[in-house]
Amino acid sequence: MTGALLAVRQVNRTFGSGAAAVHALRDVSFDVEPGTMVALVGRSGSGKTTLLNVIGGLDRPDSGTVMVDGLEVTGLDEDGLSRLRRDKVSYVFQTFGLIPVLSAAENVGVPLRLARAEPRERERRVRLLLDLVGLGDHAEQRPGELSGGQQQRVAIARALAASPRLLVADEPTGQLDAETGLAVMGLLRGVVESEGVTAVVATHDPVMMALADRVIRIGDGRVEP
Amino acid sequence: MAAPAPHWPSVRGRARADAGPLLLVACVVAVVALLAGATPPLIRSTSDEATRDAVRRAADDAAVRVESDWPDDYGPTGGRLRSPRLADDVAAVGALAEDDLDPGLRAALQSPVTTVSSISLAVTDGSVQRRLQLEYLRGAAGGPAVTWIAGRAPGPADADEFVEVPLNGAPWPMQIGLSETDARVLGAEPGDRIPVQDDQRTPYDVRVSGIFRPVDANDPAWRLAPWLLQPAANRDGLGSTRFGGLLSAESLPDARLAFRADQLRRSVRFDADPDKLTWKSAQALAATVGELKGGSAVSAERGDSLKWATQLDSVLSDLRSQIATATAQAAVLLIAVLAGALLVIGLAAELLTRRRAAALTTARERGASLPGLATELTVESIAVTVPAALLGLGLSVAIVGSASPVWVLPFLAIAVGTGPVSGTLTAARATRDRRTPANRSARRWASRTGQLRRAALDLAVLALAAASLIALRQRGIGSSADGDVGLPAAAPALVALAVALLLVRLLPYGIRAGLRLTLRSRRPLALFAAARAAATSSRVLPAFTLITAIALASFAFTLHTTTARGLSDGAWQTVGADARLTVGSGAARSTAAGPTTAGPTATVAGRVAAAPGVRHVVAARVVENERFIADSTAVTARLVVVDTAAFRRLLGDTPLPGLPDVPGLTATRDGAVPALVRTGDRSLRPGTSFRLPVVTNTSIPLTAVGAAPAIGAGDVVVVDAAAARAAGLASEPDTIWATGPGAAGAIRATAVDGRLTARTDVLADRRTAPLTSGLVHLYLIAAGVLLALGLLGFAVAAAASAPERWETLARLRTLGLRPRDSHRVAAGELLPVLLVTALCGPALGALLARITLGPLELRRLTGQLSDPVTVVPWWVLELVTVGASAAVLVAVVAAEAAVRRRRRLGDVLRAGGG
Repeated sequence: MTGALLAVRQVNRTFGSGAAAVHALRDVSFDVEPGTMVALVGRSGSGKTTLLNVIGGLDRPDSGTVMVDGLEVTGLDEDGLSRLRRDKVSYVFQTFGLIPVLSAAENVGVPLRLARAEPRERERRVRLLLDLVGLGDHAEQRPGELSGGQQQRVAIARALAASPRLLVADEPTGQLDAETGLAVMGLLRGVVESEGVTAVVATHDPVMMALADRVIRIGDGRVEP
Repeated sequence: MAAPAPHWPSVRGRARADAGPLLLVACVVAVVALLAGATPPLIRSTSDEATRDAVRRAADDAAVRVESDWPDDYGPTGGRLRSPRLADDVAAVGALAEDDLDPGLRAALQSPVTTVSSISLAVTDGSVQRRLQLEYLRGAAGGPAVTWIAGRAPGPADADEFVEVPLNGAPWPMQIGLSETDARVLGAEPGDRIPVQDDQRTPYDVRVSGIFRPVDANDPAWRLAPWLLQPAANRDGLGSTRFGGLLSAESLPDARLAFRADQLRRSVRFDADPDKLTWKSAQALAATVGELKGGSAVSAERGDSLKWATQLDSVLSDLRSQIATATAQAAVLLIAVLAGALLVIGLAAELLTRRRAAALTTARERGASLPGLATELTVESIAVTVPAALLGLGLSVAIVGSASPVWVLPFLAIAVGTGPVSGTLTAARATRDRRTPANRSARRWASRTGQLRRAALDLAVLALAAASLIALRQRGIGSSADGDVGLPAAAPALVALAVALLLVRLLPYGIRAGLRLTLRSRRPLALFAAARAAATSSRVLPAFTLITAIALASFAFTLHTTTARGLSDGAWQTVGADARLTVGSGAARSTAAGPTTAGPTATVAGRVAAAPGVRHVVAARVVENERFIADSTAVTARLVVVDTAAFRRLLGDTPLPGLPDVPGLTATRDGAVPALVRTGDRSLRPGTSFRLPVVTNTSIPLTAVGAAPAIGAGDVVVVDAAAARAAGLASEPDTIWATGPGAAGAIRATAVDGRLTARTDVLADRRTAPLTSGLVHLYLIAAGVLLALGLLGFAVAAAASAPERWETLARLRTLGLRPRDSHRVAAGELLPVLLVTALCGPALGALLARITLGPLELRRLTGQLSDPVTVVPWWVLELVTVGASAAVLVAVVAAEAAVRRRRRLGDVLRAGGG
């Protein structure tokens, strides 16, 4: 446990109150070792996304703690959370979330700009990541000129740009066809290994579960054994 | 086919969900309905008030006068026969004149006053210039009532009522009454004979029968001959004093015998009754007066007795022009406000459609028909806009007493239709089976087709704007006083729309250039803001609305400041200085040179100059309607004979133009007197040689050496007093101009009986004139409403793009953007439109004012001879535009931040974010 990159302890999260209260997370606890890829699996409404939000500091639990790389996420203020997201945690969205007027390379460089990286270092890193995700020849293309799979690969490259310790992905293949989804999953698996990053991926995809080092099942807000 | 029935729960649900935007639409419609509904009745009532005001100010000019020649009074023996019933004959002329009047015109006039006036006679009992003029007055109830406090009323001179007097006999005696003031000043008592003679030194036998006191000194009849009650100064030339001798019905026949027919004038005067006039009745009256004068001219040629004269038609004609100008300007402003309001309605419709796009698409996918959706949206739109319009019209009735639907109905029709059309089109697009072509060339072709369609629309707007501007500049704007407005009145709004459209089309290029710059910079916030701005720059309506509204607001405010400055300049031009004193008869003609001693006017000028608060004083001779001959053509202009040096100093103390040419007045060329000239038709212009005929059948040669300063209305010729005197032209001053804060007071303190015209009074009169005052208020109201509409449009547009902005900012925050930085990025995204508006809006407004100022005919309201100088209040425009825009920007960003704080950032991780 002491070597866990991610430690989730007794996390509870409830939306609403009274009879209408929805208990999204109930006493959720688990650890994730560095450099592993964890698949978070569960039916719709089981609490996967809420758990990812709490892990990434996008939402605060009602109780419990989340530690990322030794940092207690639940105790951070807004600036601390911003630093966490800039330095340690990054996200991959189902809807890619690229800036449409920027090229693929410029989109990948956004986290580096936020981290005030040197332009030369930024360009080098962007080139490296685009090559890593297989889009070295598409650097100057805008998101609208790329396919869905290519856009998601750009999003993954962007997520890796600032060398995060933890990659959080919520249904990253949700909008992709099976073949493209498989390729993206493979890419994620590959970058976890090559970049030494830890990944928590919410998914319904059995292929992803097969690629993951570990599968955590969520049901009715609880971690199922 | 049955009409689609609305699904009421959907209608209610949508209305509840979008209560805010719908309320905003209702507010805009209510405000515009109030303004558009109230303006026409306000124009009508202001026109009525202006009509009454113009007629009241015109006073003598608005009176209708009729003169009648005397019939021959030769007796059987060749002498002149006394007519004892002459007063009845005079009264009969009044009755005849009344019968001759059109009933409509008669109803607008007061009761007639019949007068018989003699020529002015010189009293020969001393060195003082005393004059006596005999008057017979007869009002509606007979003559103005008097009480004889000494002596008796004038009676017949001879016991024989029908006496026949030889033509070349001794002066026939006539009895008069004197007011107690006139009698005291003259030192006359009942029974005294006043020694008088005419200008040909023919003596007259005038005897005082009694001294009277008026029963009512305010009786309107006395206004026609005020010298009957007390001596009047300068009526017959500077330094003269006129006294009045009252004739009675009994002594009038003797006066007839004592004077030749051309020395005794009988006339009937009808003063206009302003309170009975409205603008509509005045228009009919103008035509009637024209017919009356036309008929009078014909009958005069035929030798008929009644000769009508009045300036009422010209007063009404001037008024018609002013009202036409004011009406057209009001229409220009109203069209501008309506254009701004419709753009905001369009933005609100866009906001509603964006908010409802998903629901409408879902409804369509679930089988809702397009006519059904259109009906539901129309029902909702009617339920929102029609009550709002009725509220606006109701407020108009409550505030101004009336409301006109003329402008409101077309606006309402568009306001009702915009939302439903936008929503229905969105629903239709969402479900139509038109896919993006897989073929690249087909995609390019589709893209080019869209671009061509947009370009065609843009060209159509540009062509319409150009056509309206050409129409405005060629036809002018005040061509109709009936409130009919056409394309010219829409020119400012259309030009603003066209230029704003061009700017909006260019805006994306500018933003992309900015984006390229920020990509090279190390400022991530600037890059994100530029990226967002570039992403939203294809939305035309927000920037289009803001630029158009601010440009039109700037246009309206520039008209306001230009009018204010024009009124001030117009007052300077009308008076020529801070104060002007006109003494003596302004109709005095040029005469041959006389002695050059300093006259009484020069003495008065000296006293004025010595008074505190007076900077410069100049005395001049001003002769109205002087005839000049240029190239065998007669030119009528005002002649100003003035000392050049003093005039130059005076002009230098005023904002009046023309100072540079003044020194040329003293440089005589080839014996011709140098002159400064200004004529509307340029019949006299620098370089022209012309002549001034004088009464001695000689003429004085003149040469135009420059442009005369714009002093007073009409054409003017200015010559140097010394040069004129040297050329043989007498120039005893009759006008004093003075500058300085104490000028008017100093002239007033001299107690000289003359006409004092103070610039501040002229300015105040013009500022408070109903049309000018109404329009100046309308300029400000229109500017304020347009500014508010522009900023409201900006806020609505920001609200429409807020969800996309929220999504982008949320994603950037997941990448490490701090919350406070996200506010800066949001502000930066909205900033380019505001910057372009702040730079181009006021400039476009100023340009609009500049190119439309002439056709808008502001000079008719400012009293200037030419178009006023465009006064662009750059600082105010920029401060208000930048300040208000910045305030709205801060408010929008703060409001969005407050809304964002209530939403979890984690929501963005869910499908689609937002």
